[in-house]
Amino acid sequence: MTVLKEVKVALAGNPNCGKSSLFNALTGSHQKVGNFSGVTIEKHEGYVDYRNYRIRFVDLPGTYSLTAYSPEELVTRNYLIENSPDIVINVLEGPNLERNLLLTTQLMEMEVDLLVALNMYDEVQAQGIDIKVKQLQRLLGCHIVPTSAKKKEGLDSLLDHVIRVYEKDIEVKKNKLAFRPEVDKAIEEIAELLSREPELDKYNLRWLAIKLLENDKEVYNVVRQYPAWVKIELILQRVMQETEAVYKADPEIIITEDRYAFIRGAMQECMKLPRDKKLSLTDYIDLIVLNRALGLPIFLFVVWVIFHMTFTLGTPMMDGLDYLFGALADTVAPFLPNDTLRSVLVDGLIAGVGGVLIFLPNIVLLFIGLSFLEASGYMARAAFVVDKVMHRFGLHGKSFIPMITGFGCSIPAIMATRTLKSRSDRLATIMVIPFMSCGAKLPVYVLLAGAFFRPAVAANVMFGIYMFGIIVGLFSALVMKKTVLKSESEPFVMELPPYRWPSLRSVLVQAKVKAMMYLKKAGTIILLAVLLIWTFSNYPRNPELDAALDREIASIEQSIADETERQDAIIAVENRINAGQLEYSLAGRAGKLLEPVIKPLGFDWRIGIALVTGLAAKEIVVSTMGTIYSLGEADETSSELKTILKNDPAFDQATALSLMVFVLLYIPCVAAVGVMRKEIGEWKSVAFYGAYALTAAWIFSFITYRLAQLVL
Amino acid sequence: MLLSDLRVGDKAEVTGLLADSSVRRRILDMGLVKGTRFKVLRVAPLGDPIEIYFKGVYLSLRRNEAAGVQVQKRGEVGDGMPLGSRRSRWRFGS
Repeated sequence: MTVLKEVKVALAGNPNCGKSSLFNALTGSHQKVGNFSGVTIEKHEGYVDYRNYRIRFVDLPGTYSLTAYSPEELVTRNYLIENSPDIVINVLEGPNLERNLLLTTQLMEMEVDLLVALNMYDEVQAQGIDIKVKQLQRLLGCHIVPTSAKKKEGLDSLLDHVIRVYEKDIEVKKNKLAFRPEVDKAIEEIAELLSREPELDKYNLRWLAIKLLENDKEVYNVVRQYPAWVKIELILQRVMQETEAVYKADPEIIITEDRYAFIRGAMQECMKLPRDKKLSLTDYIDLIVLNRALGLPIFLFVVWVIFHMTFTLGTPMMDGLDYLFGALADTVAPFLPNDTLRSVLVDGLIAGVGGVLIFLPNIVLLFIGLSFLEASGYMARAAFVVDKVMHRFGLHGKSFIPMITGFGCSIPAIMATRTLKSRSDRLATIMVIPFMSCGAKLPVYVLLAGAFFRPAVAANVMFGIYMFGIIVGLFSALVMKKTVLKSESEPFVMELPPYRWPSLRSVLVQAKVKAMMYLKKAGTIILLAVLLIWTFSNYPRNPELDAALDREIASIEQSIADETERQDAIIAVENRINAGQLEYSLAGRAGKLLEPVIKPLGFDWRIGIALVTGLAAKEIVVSTMGTIYSLGEADETSSELKTILKNDPAFDQATALSLMVFVLLYIPCVAAVGVMRKEIGEWKSVAFYGAYALTAAWIFSFITYRLAQLVL
Repeated sequence: MLLSDLRVGDKAEVTGLLADSSVRRRILDMGLVKGTRFKVLRVAPLGDPIEIYFKGVYLSLRRNEAAGVQVQKRGEVGDGMPLGSRRSRWRFGS
């Protein structure tokens, strides 16, 4: 077996240039997904064995440029500097060459070993665009390989070129982009000064100089530490004055203009568009989809479809998983003679793993839908259509879909906020999502509204609580954006990419990536937390109650002869004892400890317990109440539980409303908190959110309780 | 005149940028530099953002961001003026 030579290749290109499809087409199944260090930007890596080489690809995030303004751009350029890949393949969207070339000019400035993949070449030909590849090659100073990821054309040629460039088999005459004389002169002077600092060796000095003239904060922070900075600063000031005087613009603008001028020149030389530009398919679709009258209804319809696909289709799968884990628990239980061991394994571990896995169908389905929208080009249009409403609350048009998804489940919704580029927009959206009533809160509403209100009123109460969540969420976003998240939001300057039919493969890959990420990263936190809460609600055990249980069962078995009657009596005793054990456990004590705090909201210690165990999952609030009231297993349709609640003097309509509001607003389930932590990347913001949600829940429940007492 | 003052169907040329920092960078990166000719394609159903078209790019921007772009109006809907000129007035190095 021969040893393969390794070639490191990075793929860079604009968003929507078909980079990921090309990456998938090149690497096939040899892929793995991680994160770039320190940021939640996905890093796709893969390799292909070709000839005697193992070519390793890294798919860098899609960027339009290499400034320091967005995390994607920073990640891309830092990767190029720190990891110095052997070859950088710049993927260009063939039919939309002009704007794509901006990134190419910047890569040229970095003087990396560049290879251009002229992607979607099939579309270029279909549209009758004539590109003179040889000539463009000469201008860009690198080899250009026409490819089509969709039709799998040009891939071998691309790999051949990678190897030949790597082995220096073919000569590359790098071309330098000239700027206006004032700027060019300054670049040389600065580069000359920088060359005296040996520590800056890993950088391309000309590139550093250009970045300084472009007012780039990151590069500024690097260079400022060196003695050469004093002189450089003077040069920078001089150029600034010169360009202001001659062109009425600062160097940053001049440099970008000159890049575009170069591109425009190249385009005039190398590209011929067909004479008569017909309306494209994109134009026709947008005439309908972005129509002033139809735009919103179509958008709402799309959201409706996605929502139903995720939850209507996902719920049976969730139920199926639930059933499977229940069956597993039932099968395993008889084989475990030891009570404690059985409890740990069955109620703790199996239930815990089940609690993590149960969200998987929703996540996969939602991301199949979302990646389809993203890759087809509709996602950007959706943001375009609703941005005005969202912007009013300090959010971005792209916040809408994650927010709506929150009505199904916060977990996929929080994961879906990755489409938002600005961190502050993203944080605000993440913090709004739990206020959207998720599917697990519904049982609580159904139980309480059903128990305390006439059916007609109950529906209105439920509708009201949903609306209330939306209002609190949106205003929270507004307040947060004006205070803690005040930093600059993402400017809304967004490309609406041409519509394309996404490849099934890349859609599925995205869904798989999200599922794996959830299982690996969030899954561990969630499992741990679920186990913790389980321990809390089971320990310590009261030995006297255990003894009492044995005693009473023994006496029942002796006194009652009839089989069914005896079973019923035993279950009744067990339920009563379980209620006692729960009260005795840590969760029970926490509930009692909480009582003074939640008394003003109309809650007693029993609700306190339910709220504590409800942290594991919101529907557990209902089943805990069943346990506390000695009913054993209970769900929201249990008429017994409803009757008991109705007859409980501690409970009235005001308490019910107050409890609904509290469950709506207080900390989401541990699974959601785990995902939140994963997506935000630090505990501080999560803790802030927890405090915020608890405070909001307390205040609004208090108001609800007092108002309801006055009115009802 | 500002980009935000244009109406649907108007054709115009960028003459300068007023926006600052990240907004300006973004606009530059998307290719809306001095001399770029574009057409206002449509307004979103709720009246904001707007969509413009130039050189194969469909770009949407909020009115707020559009107010940072100085333009000169070159034509209106139905006047038969082509969007781009064959030769740009402003050339590299001038």
